[in-house]
Amino acid sequence: MKLHATIAESQIEIELHEQGSQVLAVVDGRKYDIDVRILRDNHYLLISNAQVFDCVVEGRPESGSTLDVIVGTGLHAVTITDPKRLRGAPAFGAHGDGAARIVAPMPGKVVRVLVQVGDSVEAGAGIAVVEAMKMQNELKSPKSGTVLTINAEVGATVNGGDLLAVIE
Amino acid sequence: MFRKILIANRGEIAVRVIRACRDLGVSPIAIFSEADAGSLHVRLADEAYCIGPAASSESYLKIQSIIDVAKQGGAEAIHPGYGFLAENAKFARAVSAAGLIFIGPTTDAMQVMGSKTSARRAAIAAGAPVVPGTTEALKSLDDARAAAARFGYPIMLKASAGGGGKGMRQVANELDLRSALEAAQSEAASAFGNSEVYLEKIVEKPRHIEIQIFADQHGNYVHLGERECSIQRRHQKVIEECPSPINDAGLRARMGEAAIKIAKTVNYVGAGTVEFLFSDTTREFYFLEMNTRLQVEHPVTELVTGLDLVCEQIRVAAGAQLSFAQDDVQLRGHAIECRVYAEDPENNFLPSPGRIDFLRVPAGPGIRDDGGVTEGDEVSIYYDPMISKLAAWGRTREEAIDRLRRALDEYAVGGIRTTLSFFREVIRDGEFIEGRLDTGFIARFNERRGRTPTSRGSERVSESSVNQDIAIIAAALAFKRAQSKSYGIEVRQTDSKWRMTGRASSMDNFARDRSGRF
Repeated sequence: MKLHATIAESQIEIELHEQGSQVLAVVDGRKYDIDVRILRDNHYLLISNAQVFDCVVEGRPESGSTLDVIVGTGLHAVTITDPKRLRGAPAFGAHGDGAARIVAPMPGKVVRVLVQVGDSVEAGAGIAVVEAMKMQNELKSPKSGTVLTINAEVGATVNGGDLLAVIE
Repeated sequence: MFRKILIANRGEIAVRVIRACRDLGVSPIAIFSEADAGSLHVRLADEAYCIGPAASSESYLKIQSIIDVAKQGGAEAIHPGYGFLAENAKFARAVSAAGLIFIGPTTDAMQVMGSKTSARRAAIAAGAPVVPGTTEALKSLDDARAAAARFGYPIMLKASAGGGGKGMRQVANELDLRSALEAAQSEAASAFGNSEVYLEKIVEKPRHIEIQIFADQHGNYVHLGERECSIQRRHQKVIEECPSPINDAGLRARMGEAAIKIAKTVNYVGAGTVEFLFSDTTREFYFLEMNTRLQVEHPVTELVTGLDLVCEQIRVAAGAQLSFAQDDVQLRGHAIECRVYAEDPENNFLPSPGRIDFLRVPAGPGIRDDGGVTEGDEVSIYYDPMISKLAAWGRTREEAIDRLRRALDEYAVGGIRTTLSFFREVIRDGEFIEGRLDTGFIARFNERRGRTPTSRGSERVSESSVNQDIAIIAAALAFKRAQSKSYGIEVRQTDSKWRMTGRASSMDNFARDRSGRF
């Protein structure tokens, strides 16, 4: 099975051949003979050349979604894509029209909205304040521009990833 | 001794108090919100009562509901832990009025020390040096402007009812004063139900050193040495140690004496902590505040003194004399604690709630983990994000650091981001190892990390090519398994010897459990 992986902004090809707990992996041409133990869902013990790697894979393992892989104590963000499923998927790194989206970084409650639609803001200006776990976090605009839309209402509960405002 | 104690708290501190109850043969009663129904502190208790919905204002802060279930369960005393109602004099008064014992100081002492402004007045009365600033809450922006001008920028705004870094803002100049004041007041109102804020001049590069004191109802006072809590982010302690790396017996005796004098002005009873700022350059210390409760960082004092502060709190509340005198208190070795928070250090320490889908807690020589979660538990958005406190003890500071480093590398939490990765870097930092600590440590540390990305990542670079490949392989394996599953193909590894033996031995256990013999 051939897959594409993206790690630290580079694209790498990976091939896996499984035979029971023995896996031959070819990563960008580098060969690894690995003994794989599945300790639990998403918890893998990999032994390669007598080197021990304790790995935890977090996230939904779907084509194009990013997984957080803990190897020992190190955290790696890996995106796996299946080349057979690329058709119709948006191109890599496709960006919008340069508008900055202010997104709730975690679930919480909107306690203040600091701007109005049409306001000009400087880069670093506070846009909204979201409270979670008793701490208030001010979300700042990453760029200078005009406030295009505001989706945040004081008192509203938001989920991580919810769009709160767009700055253009 | 009490027969039953209700613990008016949740998470790791509720678990800690339950353990003390068990040691003393007292039956622990837990309370929980709807969000905490299956959590560890409930599982470890003998009895548990739901006291309301997830929001703490509807549950852990509901004074009457808590007292009602305490009476219903037949508790004789209530331990408040820390946070929530621990420093709420109204709660302590209501507990006494209901004929129950509040495990903590008198309401008078809580009231005086509960307001940072009246605490400052008490410290002045005890002859202790205080940080220059207002002794009353600020009445208006104009009042703040005038006071700031009088003491000179930079200044610090602090919630009178404050603690835990909430309602605190550093202000560099007058331009920032208005927004900082509004933010501090709003945060104070939401965290403590009291928007009063006062102002202090900033002491340059201070160490934050605090003295643990203990008093009983018979007029005995002792101090248990200091804790250094200089490593803070957002004015919240993240690493604490005992003793301070300064380790100066003369200074310890002077600060201990000052702390006891302050505690005596309010006839203090139980465990308390007097916080000071200490300047390395002038060797002067200033009273900051007194916390009328157990502290999060109490384990480092316990490790170095060999005392159990929570058991002692319960014994003192039951009317016993202190089980030790000042001369019995010996500091042995060195202990360091890290607060493990569900926060993302790579993303400005934003809270990272979610389900803990993997958890490996370190153990071994000199390691103590006071946790409040197990694998599969949900870290909720409603409460403080601290999930555990990891502490290491060694004969020397060096040995404690070695052990803590080992334990941090062993610690693994999956599903949420934690501050563990941050601690792994701090513990390897030169300034930390040399003990050159002050409250600006984290800002400098972050600057060092930002400035020298290569040196920070150097370890990663050398190990990285292989580790990156391994990460890709693990991700690809997970992807493949998920794919096969979604096509309805059951992926089964050929049973390895490990798995077979594991299964067989768990069958053995099962058989033994059933037969009731071991």
